[in-house]
Amino acid sequence: MPRFYVLEVPENEGVIRVAADDPANTVDRVGPYRRVTARGPIVIDRRATGCRHAVWYSAVAGLETSVITQHDKDALRVEAR
Amino acid sequence: MSDNIQAHEPDPVHRVRGVDHAAFPTFDPTATVRFYRDVLKFPVVHSICAAGWGPEKHPDFIHFFFDIGNDDRLAFFYYFGWQPAGDQSAPGDAWARLPHDTPEFFKNSRHIALNVADEDDLLEYRRRLDESEWPVEMQVMHETIESIYTHDPNGYMLEITRQLRPVTPQEDLDAELTIDALCDVASGEDPSMDKLLTRKAELIVARAADWEKENPLWHETEKV
Amino acid sequence: MPTTRVGLIVPSTNTTVETEIPRLLSRTGDEFSFHSSRMRMHSVTPEQLRAMNAQRERCVLEIGDTGADVVLYACLVAIMAMGHGHHRDAEFRIAEQLGSGGSDTRVLSSAGALLQGLTDLSARRVALVMPYTQPLARLVVDYIEAEGFEVADWRALDVADNAEVACIPGTTVMEAARRLDLTGVDALVISCCVQMPSLDLVEAAEVEFGIPTLSAATAGAYSILRRLGLPVDVPGAGSLLRRDAAVPVS
Repeated sequence: MPRFYVLEVPENEGVIRVAADDPANTVDRVGPYRRVTARGPIVIDRRATGCRHAVWYSAVAGLETSVITQHDKDALRVEAR
Repeated sequence: MSDNIQAHEPDPVHRVRGVDHAAFPTFDPTATVRFYRDVLKFPVVHSICAAGWGPEKHPDFIHFFFDIGNDDRLAFFYYFGWQPAGDQSAPGDAWARLPHDTPEFFKNSRHIALNVADEDDLLEYRRRLDESEWPVEMQVMHETIESIYTHDPNGYMLEITRQLRPVTPQEDLDAELTIDALCDVASGEDPSMDKLLTRKAELIVARAADWEKENPLWHETEKV
Repeated sequence: MPTTRVGLIVPSTNTTVETEIPRLLSRTGDEFSFHSSRMRMHSVTPEQLRAMNAQRERCVLEIGDTGADVVLYACLVAIMAMGHGHHRDAEFRIAEQLGSGGSDTRVLSSAGALLQGLTDLSARRVALVMPYTQPLARLVVDYIEAEGFEVADWRALDVADNAEVACIPGTTVMEAARRLDLTGVDALVISCCVQMPSLDLVEAAEVEFGIPTLSAATAGAYSILRRLGLPVDVPGAGSLLRRDAAVPVS
């Protein structure tokens, strides 16, 4: 199961929101982080998040038995390792 | 007189008080003074005229200091008669020259960033630089900071930056985790971002229980 | 014992420091060599003193080149005319110049040495004889009082020309000292000046007045010995310089 962490700070609000809006994802809290889990690959559309460059590319704080297979101007894709 | 023995407060662990001085060599003190004192209007706060009397052969020199705020200082050494070494057409600065094909990101990885309080102050320093021989080369805004960049007469990169919001405690904690993960990964084989993020997740999971105890507002498994 | 190198930074017209300090230190039995650097100065006026102080950096660089073990910045009124506590600033700046260049020359000033001498004598009430004009003498008195001493009485001989100060006869200095009210005085500074000669008077004055007597020169020699960790045992120059002398068993 792909799973990744995002630090809960204002700049990451867009990423967290887009992740939470997708019913395939479970988003919960672990300390100051939000944890995003799903049964299949997690895809976050960058434009939907409204994130600018630097924030987008530093949004992922941790990967749990997962790997980033795409992280570009279009999307972030996290899959099971 | 009452027995007034005050409990001795233990000394704090962290006692340094900022930058006494960050020092760099210069081969052009006149331009350096023009840049920092006249353009940026940083006060000249100290100078020492000395010779080299230690074991190493050493020219006479002037060591001079500019205030960069908070009583922190930027200092320069000017050695009389000393010539720069290396290929002066190569990238780099008065301290060192880098290989000709050194990428920008690496050249820029060493710089000093000075803080200003707000947009007005940032624009004022922008104006001072733009009206000088050393105009702003780049202005960048992220969600969290806005910065202007230039190079001083010695080739040292200078950034002036304002924070768009204060750093939160979550970020300090995240930084500590990153550092712990980095040390673990960098001392292993083939360090990579992927390994770092994986290690970080392990640390998040390992420390979650302690955070819950320290800060009950961070509820586990509260579904959003 | 290797020769100890003593640097002296003196006003250019000063001949007394380079006479009295070597004479004093030669009585210790240790070997010393003396190396001077000069700051141009003719009249002891505030303007000339300021101009002289401006030459200090050059002099420190010259002395630094000798690798001296200690340097005595042999000005008293020049320091005191710059404001209370200035000897600490001057000593710091000189030490910083030397230290920044990797020198380990130790730094003293005559003003600092005089205060150290008075402190080590546990003096609280002092009397002074000075060659200065009245306004400069007043500055010196204020300076010493600002360091926590009480100047009970003082005499200023009104000589402005520094070369003339070197020629003031000992009899004139002793007469001035005899006119002081020494009631309750712990220490007499027979020459509160680095140019007015007094070496031959110090011991005699101490005997005549029955009060520990020192001069800017004897205090300078004392501080040099103390800073170098050498025994302070110089005969015939007042009790300050005999502090480490063996006490005869009676």
